[in-house]
Amino acid sequence: MRKKCLIFLSIVLSVCFSIAIFSSPSCAKEVSYLSLADYTGPIAGLNVPADMGLEDYIKEINAKGGVDGIKIKFIGIDTRYDVARAVSAYKRYRRTKRLLMVNSISTGIGKAVARLIEKDKRLQIVPGDGEFQAHLQRTFIWGPAYQDAFAASMDWVMADWKAKGKAGAPVVGYMSWDNPFGRELLRGGKEYAEKLGIKLLPPEFFPPGTLKHDVYLTRLAKAGAHYIHAGGVDPTPTNVIRDAYALGLTKKIQMICGYWGPTALGIGVHAKALEGSVITSFYQRGTDAIKNKVPTDLWKKYRGSLDKYNEAYGMGMSWGMSYVAGLKFALKAVGYDKLKADDMYNAYQNITGLDKHGIQGPCAYSPTSRRGSLEVKTYRVENGKIVPITGWRKAPDAVSLHKF
Amino acid sequence: MRYFKVIMLFVFILGLVLGGFACQTAQLSSPQAKLEVIPAETFLSPALIRKPVAFKGSGFAPKEMITVEMVLPAGLKMKGITEGEDVGIAVGTTDENGAFSTAMQPTATLNWFFQVGWTPLLRPNFKEARPIPPGVYTINATGLDSERVGTATLKIVPPPKKK
Repeated sequence: MRKKCLIFLSIVLSVCFSIAIFSSPSCAKEVSYLSLADYTGPIAGLNVPADMGLEDYIKEINAKGGVDGIKIKFIGIDTRYDVARAVSAYKRYRRTKRLLMVNSISTGIGKAVARLIEKDKRLQIVPGDGEFQAHLQRTFIWGPAYQDAFAASMDWVMADWKAKGKAGAPVVGYMSWDNPFGRELLRGGKEYAEKLGIKLLPPEFFPPGTLKHDVYLTRLAKAGAHYIHAGGVDPTPTNVIRDAYALGLTKKIQMICGYWGPTALGIGVHAKALEGSVITSFYQRGTDAIKNKVPTDLWKKYRGSLDKYNEAYGMGMSWGMSYVAGLKFALKAVGYDKLKADDMYNAYQNITGLDKHGIQGPCAYSPTSRRGSLEVKTYRVENGKIVPITGWRKAPDAVSLHKF
Repeated sequence: MRYFKVIMLFVFILGLVLGGFACQTAQLSSPQAKLEVIPAETFLSPALIRKPVAFKGSGFAPKEMITVEMVLPAGLKMKGITEGEDVGIAVGTTDENGAFSTAMQPTATLNWFFQVGWTPLLRPNFKEARPIPPGVYTINATGLDSERVGTATLKIVPPPKKK
């Protein structure tokens, strides 16, 4: 009987001991990154290469021993661009130990998850909604705000207009998706254009998935547009310009795009129609992106030939660079054992100036800035390639012009 | 004496486990969260885009976010979902009385009921659709602050035969 009791006691103690060992921080030093992504839904064309860049960057860091010996776990969730799925996925992972960051692929997802992020004292990054800069919280944007980049486009338009020897200011048409993202560029962007004296025509909004854009384009052309901003996420801007080309409008109207304008994705299908189109971007595009050995070498190592390379890959790496820099800062501040999501939030406000190896401008996150970077570069489609026509320049602060 | 110590240790551990379990149960069951699926029975048709499946709930904390999830039966594979994972189909926010009402958005109906593909033009591709099979699906609404859970079912029946 005594022997049985001792056996029983030793089993109980072993179980307790095992639980203690496996839950101890020294067992596996790991931090997590949650990507609420779109791998099979409507914007998979850009999100897949972006998350490939991030995942490969993390693989590379882990292969070199991690950050101070701590490995990064990448958790990629296919939300199919659906808010309900993203919120449910966040619920599933929010208790993950040392889940330091969440990347939400759409503004809609970001806004829905933001409430939970605040409650959980975590950090989130989202595309480019200026509202997150207007009301500083725990949500950071990937680059300059949408309206900042639009304002930089308007600067380029004015410079182009003058370079053509024209007096006064041009008439600009705006068309984009009929959703919060489509309207966001004008919240501050409209005020900036008016400040420059540009006549902005009443915007044309259309549902995502629109097959033909002739009606909207024709209306803007008849209203006298000299320039038309083709919004939406590629391939939508590509398809808008394809329609403008078919209508013969690209001969007299300069088509311009924001930072989700044509990438290798659109060029691969409609290079001829896109010829001459202008894109203002916060991350490297086209020939610039191909020349940058930092992202292309990583692509070649993990993905092989550059045939299917998309510029969004570099943007994904840039997310990884911020994460690693933030992690280093947080570890220095509190150490691994005390590391919490809130420490990463504090760290992100202290990685100002982080070099992104030319992929995008230096990191601009700070206690008063949620912008991932401030600079944009303008590109033009020439001979079927996206080539730079300006250097990096600081985008105007259009967010501050709007009352949110 | 030794037997007594071993028994006391066992009782102590058992007490801890049962105590923890009781706390969790108390948290989840008080007050009772309720969920209603409207309609409780339907068949898959494009009409669900215009008149989607809706949800009404009560007994949650005031002003909290609600995630409505469908429990996938074992063996049912769904695009983008890992086996064993529930799929979020709607979100809502409760009022000051802890009640909410919400409905599935078109993307949710297309992605999770019809399992469509997406064309480069961002249009649903019904040629790639793999609609979920008829059956009784458990639906859970969870309060993301209170963690209270209301449960109901949605019965998906085969579409009526064309005459």
